[in-house]
Amino acid sequence: MLPLFAWRNLWRRPQRTLLSLLSIALVVALLVCMLSFQRGVYQVMKENNLRVFDGYAQFQAPGYADDPTIDRVIDHPAGIVRAALAIKGIGAAAARVNGFGILANGERSYGALIAGVDPGSESQLSTIAATVRAGRYLNDTDRDAAVLGELLARNLQVSVGGTVSVLGAARDGSVGADVLQVVGIFRSGIPQLDRSILEMPLARAQDAFDMTDRANTIALGGPTLSGVDAALPRLAALGAHHGVALLDWKALEPAMRDAIALKYAMSLLLYLTLVAVVAFIILNALLMSVLERTHEFGVLLAIGMRARAIGLMVWLELLTLALTGCAAGFAAGAGATWWLEQRGISFGSLSALLAQYGLPPRLYPALDPVSALTGPVAILVAIVLGGIVPYARVTRLTALAAMRSE
Amino acid sequence: MRPRAASDRPSRARAARGQVASLILVLAGVSAAPAASPAAPDPTLILRRAFEAYRATSSQSAVAMTVHRPQWERHLDMKVWTRGQDDALVRFIAPPKDAGNATLKVAENIWVFNPKLNQVIKLPVSMMSQSWMGSDFSYNDLSKSEELLEWYEHRLTYTEQTGGHTLWTIESLPKPGAPVVWGKVTVKIRDDDVLSEETFFDQDLKPVRHMLTEKVGPLGGRAYPVVMSMHPLDSPGQWTRIETLEGQFDLVLPEYLFTLSNLQYPRQ
Repeated sequence: MLPLFAWRNLWRRPQRTLLSLLSIALVVALLVCMLSFQRGVYQVMKENNLRVFDGYAQFQAPGYADDPTIDRVIDHPAGIVRAALAIKGIGAAAARVNGFGILANGERSYGALIAGVDPGSESQLSTIAATVRAGRYLNDTDRDAAVLGELLARNLQVSVGGTVSVLGAARDGSVGADVLQVVGIFRSGIPQLDRSILEMPLARAQDAFDMTDRANTIALGGPTLSGVDAALPRLAALGAHHGVALLDWKALEPAMRDAIALKYAMSLLLYLTLVAVVAFIILNALLMSVLERTHEFGVLLAIGMRARAIGLMVWLELLTLALTGCAAGFAAGAGATWWLEQRGISFGSLSALLAQYGLPPRLYPALDPVSALTGPVAILVAIVLGGIVPYARVTRLTALAAMRSE
Repeated sequence: MRPRAASDRPSRARAARGQVASLILVLAGVSAAPAASPAAPDPTLILRRAFEAYRATSSQSAVAMTVHRPQWERHLDMKVWTRGQDDALVRFIAPPKDAGNATLKVAENIWVFNPKLNQVIKLPVSMMSQSWMGSDFSYNDLSKSEELLEWYEHRLTYTEQTGGHTLWTIESLPKPGAPVVWGKVTVKIRDDDVLSEETFFDQDLKPVRHMLTEKVGPLGGRAYPVVMSMHPLDSPGQWTRIETLEGQFDLVLPEYLFTLSNLQYPRQ
């Protein structure tokens, strides 16, 4: 009975109700779209950055994260690689030797990360192989070959076909040295990496740096970041069994994790403002209608309706309004998001800027339960809680006073 | 993941010069002032005299270096030549794996020679904080050997009698705006100008590494810290010891010694 009254009461003032519905729907749709877009962008940003070199997770020698020295090693990495590949969600695993040393070409010399990599597995999880701009990436038959970042090559004034001398500290404290032929130059798009990484065949690096059957890290990849995240517990168990540390993407890229957290926190402020504003607008409208109907409520009380029932009816009016608005907004927002998800959003001339953040020129929102439902639920809760105000007001009315109030 | 120092923290990068004094016996440009009165010794003078006691106008020495790590220990033998305060040449002669590697310092520049590459490589600035030959010394320890005297203000904080010597403790704080890494250095010096201990503090004034003279002996006609060891305090069980086996001072060294061509094609 009461819901029916509530519904009818709403439409006694169709214009006001429509406007209220519209404002709720608009904000809900906006929240769904914005949150989906944000989540989609961050997901792409994370995956694109991690896929360049880090991988979605890494096994590392214990203590390597805090003090990355070459003498912190993973023994017999091949067994761990095989076991990791057997875990669902893991599509690639690549053992690496990471030496920090000097690269020299004639008079020129620069400090760089000298990464010994297995070309086959490396090209499955790192995009460096795909971003070789001159020459080619390493292959399994290479011995003394190297690929290096574009800025590093420019600094060293070396091109494909040239040679680079490598000098660094080996695991046993002796000097590791080698001369390599440059077969390729890559441009990962991340200047910091393009300035600081040289890749050489794993076996050769193991020879040069006294690392035979050893590695410093094992990078892990898979079809999706969420898939690898889901595999973390099993990876952790595998790591514990072999005495190596497991780092998820947050541990690998703490700066990116913090940047994303900060952006979410800042947008949260905006979202809360939107929710609060729309909740106040709706409450205001309802309080107006309660005031207008004080006389009517007095009559209802006089003919025997309980004050609580009237309060409940008013509260139900609010709930109905919010539900209808949220449903409409959700439909509009999710629909628009779904449509954008199919075709992507192009940013035209901004694509160069996006590339700096490791983003593609076309961005896709990600509609998932979290991004779709957070907005509507927040609005619903805010309005329903706000409804306590008119409810309290109505239940305080007495028949006589209410009827005299006009 | 960021490339980082192989075995030396950047914060340990710049060291004052004392810890390499036995490697690079550099002569200060100024001549030693007469001994201050024992009542009020001038800390700056004590430091200067101590550092000068290691050096001469030139030197030639045989040095053994032990690098100790929890998992392993290495022994390296080297020959060291120095001239004035700026020039030094270190050539490793053993073990076979390291023999032939050499380091040349001229002014603040460092070049390394590696026999396998048969190539001289100038050390890039970004590598100065790296470990020198896998030890607990960095290249900066070699190149910035004058830093303590030049950029710090010194204060005598304690005087004690020990083993028949007066031992002075001097606290050195960077001058305002000085381009140094250590927030504080404390040095203990004996009255016969032997540096006996040196502790390096970071900017939060936490001790970071400690150098100790383990043995004082006569060398080249002076009391000389023949065995010194460096201990990074955040890595227990890790140290580097330097022992000067023999040394000659104030000799006339040939000009070609401190050149790039001699680094690559030794004539001595």
